[in-house]
Amino acid sequence: MVSGLHPRRLNEALAAMADPGVIALAGGTDLMVGETETERRFLYLHNVREMRGLRETPDHLVVGAATTFTEVLESPLAPPLLKEAVSGVASPAVRNAGTVGGNVANGSPKADSALVLMVVDAVLLIASARGERLLPVADFYLGGKKVDLASDELIVEIRLPKSRLAPHYYCKVGGRRALAISRLSFAGLFRQERGRIRHLAAAFGAVTDVIFRDRCLESMLVGLEIPEAKKLRQDFLAAYGAALVPTSGRVSKEYRRSVALNLLGDFLTVFGV
Amino acid sequence: MAPHPISEPVVKKDHDLKMSGRALYAADHYPEGLLFAAALRSPHARARILKVTPPELPPGHIYADHRDIPGPNEIPIVNCDTPVLAVDAVQYVGEPILVMAGPDERAVRKLLSRVRVDYEVLEPELDVKTAGTTYCDYNFGRGDVDKAMAEADKTYDEEFETFYQEQAYIEPQGLVVRWEEGKIIARGSMQCPYYVHEALVHAFALPEDKVRVVQDVTGGGFGGKEDFPSNLACLAALCAMKAGGRPVGLFLGRAEDMECSTKRHPSVSRYRAAVKNGRLTALDIDVVFNAGAYTTLTGVVLLRGVASCVGVYKVDNLRVRGRGVKTNTVPCGAYRGFGAPQTVFAVEMFMGHIAGDLGLDPLDFKIAHLAAQGDLTSTSGRYHHPVPLPAMIEDAVKNSGYREKRELCKRQDGRLRRGVGLSLWFHGAGFAGTGERDFIKARVRLVKSADGRVEALASNTDIGQGLKTTFAKIVAHELGIPLDRVTACSPDTDRCPNSGPTVASRSIMTVGELFRRAAVKLREGWADGVEQVFEDDYVQPDYIIPYDYDRCRGDAYATYSWAACVVELEVDLLTGVHRVLGVWGCFDAGTPVDRTILTGQMEGGLLQGIGYSSMEQMKYDRAGRIRNKTFSDYLIPTAMDVPLIKVTLHVEKFPEGPYGAKGAGELPLPGVPAAYLSALEQAMGGIPVRHAPFSAEETLAAVMEAGK
Repeated sequence: MVSGLHPRRLNEALAAMADPGVIALAGGTDLMVGETETERRFLYLHNVREMRGLRETPDHLVVGAATTFTEVLESPLAPPLLKEAVSGVASPAVRNAGTVGGNVANGSPKADSALVLMVVDAVLLIASARGERLLPVADFYLGGKKVDLASDELIVEIRLPKSRLAPHYYCKVGGRRALAISRLSFAGLFRQERGRIRHLAAAFGAVTDVIFRDRCLESMLVGLEIPEAKKLRQDFLAAYGAALVPTSGRVSKEYRRSVALNLLGDFLTVFGV
Repeated sequence: MAPHPISEPVVKKDHDLKMSGRALYAADHYPEGLLFAAALRSPHARARILKVTPPELPPGHIYADHRDIPGPNEIPIVNCDTPVLAVDAVQYVGEPILVMAGPDERAVRKLLSRVRVDYEVLEPELDVKTAGTTYCDYNFGRGDVDKAMAEADKTYDEEFETFYQEQAYIEPQGLVVRWEEGKIIARGSMQCPYYVHEALVHAFALPEDKVRVVQDVTGGGFGGKEDFPSNLACLAALCAMKAGGRPVGLFLGRAEDMECSTKRHPSVSRYRAAVKNGRLTALDIDVVFNAGAYTTLTGVVLLRGVASCVGVYKVDNLRVRGRGVKTNTVPCGAYRGFGAPQTVFAVEMFMGHIAGDLGLDPLDFKIAHLAAQGDLTSTSGRYHHPVPLPAMIEDAVKNSGYREKRELCKRQDGRLRRGVGLSLWFHGAGFAGTGERDFIKARVRLVKSADGRVEALASNTDIGQGLKTTFAKIVAHELGIPLDRVTACSPDTDRCPNSGPTVASRSIMTVGELFRRAAVKLREGWADGVEQVFEDDYVQPDYIIPYDYDRCRGDAYATYSWAACVVELEVDLLTGVHRVLGVWGCFDAGTPVDRTILTGQMEGGLLQGIGYSSMEQMKYDRAGRIRNKTFSDYLIPTAMDVPLIKVTLHVEKFPEGPYGAKGAGELPLPGVPAAYLSALEQAMGGIPVRHAPFSAEETLAAVMEAGK
């Protein structure tokens, strides 16, 4: 079970991924919970240099896919929203091993860091031996834990556009204060200039089979002055109420809907709408 | 009053072993030739078994069913209605039907999945209110309840409900059994070696000296390893009987353990009260416990439930009915508190609700009705010893700032709302009724070797509560010799006398006192350079009013331990999520035999009580199945959920306990839900709570409905 491949460079990792008998492991904190009796060999990604750490470009904050949650928490580059969400992941031991790329690739709508990537319109750099492509994270999720990632592809890095890193609102509802899978999570971004809403984004985790975001609804308030937005507040909340069709699971769908709308309303209140 | 020197903390006897990770638990021993056993369990809550077709048995594998049991197909747990293996019907999801063993656990499970069982599935009985079979029915009381109700200024009528609680010991159940020259040798994780011994003697029709049971290091019990290891031991022994001397291990995985082992009984309690001139004049109480499919411990669990159902209050007119009802669900059993948490929750919430209706603070109303020394207990026994609650209440109130906070929380707004709640309770210390004298007849033995070392032999197990340390402390203290010269052994029925089960918070109070008295004999008869043996046997104190089991009348317990607890919490009105801000507990378990150990017990029990109030949600579905059987679905508090816990110890010495010690282990849990959920009621702006646990989801629904 501990046998596997330990590449140090991306090209080695991608070459290995061409073999369908190889399965990528970036932390393994989700993978190891499932069936561990597998004939496939694990490709350990934690030493792949191109996939590690945080760096800045003029327009983006770039997070290597194999960067652990603990590294995000300790990085001066990581934005406060990402740190806040990541600090609520499981427990210190899991945060030491688990990675942002793994959190995304797992495809779960409950993934704490993926919620942040959704709300900031992050873009994934996906590569294989055949080449590479850029994909908005929203397009990565195909529903029902299916993701747009071919069997030979790896998520190499995640690019967070700096222009989207606005003042935020965040709340995770778990069954307890640690080691708790999200029952609902919410992240909102809000920026205004001289009383006019310039940017608004709202993402809901663990509410449907993919992280929920609706740019059309968001645009209802964008461009408006605060007093105008206030007048539309009830319509805005009602529109989300109609659009959100939660799934039930550890909690009921009614609870998920109530909490989602309560938090969305509070998000507006906090930012003066 | 100066603290007793025995209370001075020491390093636990098993500290190094456990902290270094070297302690070996049941599944850590891999004896030569070990075979793994696993049971085929019923997927149906109620069905007739029409036909069982096993697959062809590969070489080296063992198959056993009820026809292989040499003695009666019964597990003696108070009664004998629990079969070792199902014969022609199954009564709950998880009931064992047959057992198989082999050298590879995975292969055995695969083999089990190939057994074909034809069932005729029947409609299960799942609702205690309509179920047809009552296993026990207690009726007792005093005074004239009907007259008090007729003459009341006001009467009250409420129903309270509680659900399962899973013991969630960190080590799942497991044993290793082998046959050696016609003798069964069983060792594993357990609380009560002589219960396992009795079960094996019974089901295998063996003389007592042909069964040996040894306790391994046990990773927690909390009641869950009281009776259930007897079931597993019989299954493993059946395979071992056919294994030609090879040892057979039966280790439950977490999901199997959570599905088919015992839990705290769900309950429904209807409480009615009469109040005249601001005073409680009568209580009319009807308690129903969901027993599950077999009687197991329900009779005694319910006895403690009804013995605790009046709480710490004095009431002249009382009528109590308590029933244990059969459903087609997993048999319930023992869990820290043993029936008391259900009724203490009900009576404490009820008293609070009456006080609120009368415009009084719950604490003032409770104080006005406190029982005192000499008053009648619910079963019309007596509180023979002082009731120290007034001083303990003062302590808990002062430490927590209860009154100021209660006042402050009356006026608040915003997203986060706070509340503070208080509860009072007792724990009847030791075995119920005259059980110690009539059934248990505990005996201990001290063996002094020629070099002056002393071994303390009893059947009580250290399951994390520190018994190896506290027994040794008592003996060393009485002998006036260093603690490292005294050892308390891990029970082995071949060597240790039967000092009774490790239950009912009796080990220190009852067995510890026997050790103290045996140590007095040894001290007085001490002779250097020779081996000496001294024993002591239980004698019932003279003051006891004999308990009449048929009429439920007399002293249910020899004495009582006491508790006062305050919980402060915060509720998020947008999500319903609770956050506990602080817990203050004042406990009287008599003289602490070790202050650190006792405080640790109190803190751990408080935390289990917090879980039972909130996040520990477990119910069965309409098919009688428990769905959440992993630790990611059944949540218990983590280190991050531990609030500020402040424990203070009050000492009301018990003259019959060692140095004044009395029952401790179960004391901290029973009243926590009432304190917690009273605090929640206040945080929710006065919405009444009538069931436990109470989830974040229910909290949000309640506050949204009330439009807070």
